[in-house]
Amino acid sequence: MPAPLDDWFADEILVHEEALLHFLARAWPQRDEVHDLRQEIYVRVYEAAGKALPMQPKAFLFATARHLLTDRIRRGKVVSIEPVGDFERLLVLVDDVSPERWCGGRQVLKRLSDAFDRLPDRCREVVWLRRVEHLSQREVAARLGISEKTVEKHIAKGMRLLAGHFYGGGSGVSAMDGEAQDGRAAADARRQGD
Amino acid sequence: MRGGKATETMTGADAIEGLAADWLARRDAAAWSTADATALDAWLAQDTAHRVAFLRLQAAWAQAGRLSALGAGRANGDGPPPRQQDAGLAANAETDLQALVFAPRAPRRRPRAGAFALVATLGACALAGGWAWRNFGAIEAASHATTLGAVQAVPLADGSQATLASDSRIDVRLSRRERHIDLERGEAFFEAAKDPARPFVVEAGERRVVAVGTRFSVRRDGADLRVVVTEGTVRLESDPVDGRSHPAALLPAGSIAIARPDGVLVRSLPLQEAAQLVDWRSGLLFFRDTTLAEAATEFNRYNARKIVIGDAAVGDLRIGGSFRWANAEGFVRLLEQGFPVKAEYGRDRIVLHTP
Repeated sequence: MPAPLDDWFADEILVHEEALLHFLARAWPQRDEVHDLRQEIYVRVYEAAGKALPMQPKAFLFATARHLLTDRIRRGKVVSIEPVGDFERLLVLVDDVSPERWCGGRQVLKRLSDAFDRLPDRCREVVWLRRVEHLSQREVAARLGISEKTVEKHIAKGMRLLAGHFYGGGSGVSAMDGEAQDGRAAADARRQGD
Repeated sequence: MRGGKATETMTGADAIEGLAADWLARRDAAAWSTADATALDAWLAQDTAHRVAFLRLQAAWAQAGRLSALGAGRANGDGPPPRQQDAGLAANAETDLQALVFAPRAPRRRPRAGAFALVATLGACALAGGWAWRNFGAIEAASHATTLGAVQAVPLADGSQATLASDSRIDVRLSRRERHIDLERGEAFFEAAKDPARPFVVEAGERRVVAVGTRFSVRRDGADLRVVVTEGTVRLESDPVDGRSHPAALLPAGSIAIARPDGVLVRSLPLQEAAQLVDWRSGLLFFRDTTLAEAATEFNRYNARKIVIGDAAVGDLRIGGSFRWANAEGFVRLLEQGFPVKAEYGRDRIVLHTP
């Protein structure tokens, strides 16, 4: 897959994640579906952008979100029909309220350090040693007296938490109670239930 | 285009994110093979949902590299800065990103008090951190490795020096109680600085070579271990096998110990001859009544172009002398002149056989 598309996706789409999540939280009654909606929206945006890059990424992102919600309501997957009429108004509201691109150096750093500071202690330490002091995972393990496997787990967890806080402003943090293993098992169970 | 598959992925966004994080963390580790890369590519190609989840985490992780801005002015090894609640946050927010990332911290004009407070806090933390490491934990942890054909001297923080032979790797951990070196592969020569309070331990598989202040080399050869001592005394310890413990062997200068799974053989040589066995440090290989097969193995430790023994008669020839390990071809040409040896020169190997 071409790297420019990936960069575009990070620079033009992911930076609006917080605004997108606010929009979804207000427009969609099922809170526990928000992360799945976010994923589906990202998939649609990415696949469309693979054919032609939208000129106005943010507008395209929210238009995609609206279409998805409309589709979902039509498919009758939703109990409450109330939010439907509000989409347009909500979109305008979100557009006004959402911070103008926080890609400026200072805001990025502030956001990043906030995200970093919300990591649990051990995870925070591991991320720092690996990402800032550039120790290898093995060296981090030796330094902290923990196994390499544990270091790898902390890094996986750190990535998810950082992404959730950095892009989603906190509401982007996915459910990961316990190990990732549990999440996988739960998802499989759900899938079989379908 | 995604059709019915969409519902399935819809339910699993968090699970997919978990898998994407696992992939990224694994790729971030040392043992990442081309087979792994292929498997990852397949996983990414399987579903756009996989790809976007992966991209999102990858981008956040890339951004995290900028965290170094928070560490400006801190020495490496201090660990993460304290969580920023007050002073640190204010000062950082006021400081330009460019200055933070690329230049050493300079106090800005406006938030002078804040900056001083920050410097004081960081200084205190650095001191406290340094004290903690020195007393309770590792003060230096590092890995060093050489590629085929390279010999490298590595100074260690305690004043000792390690010299790595071709295609070798050591992991170093210096703590207050012990200087611990893991010989992961190959061979290394050590000049251990004297420090009676902190033994200098080289671990290779289930064996340990313990020195206080001395010069010696340790080399792994499959399950075999060879220790050559050129100054002082070292102790060779082995883990118990099947519940039976091996006695530790004391090796004075001039000793060569060959440790095999079934026992340890120690030979005493005149000091000068022992020293010749570690001449590889200055680019030389030393042979004395050595079979050509063994000599070829020595050369092959250092060179990608291998010397191959074509028949048993050639392998059994005994040779002596000292040779530059970098010049395998010169060695073979010399053999052709003085011994019943015929060589075929290929691009990646030289085959020797009886004429």
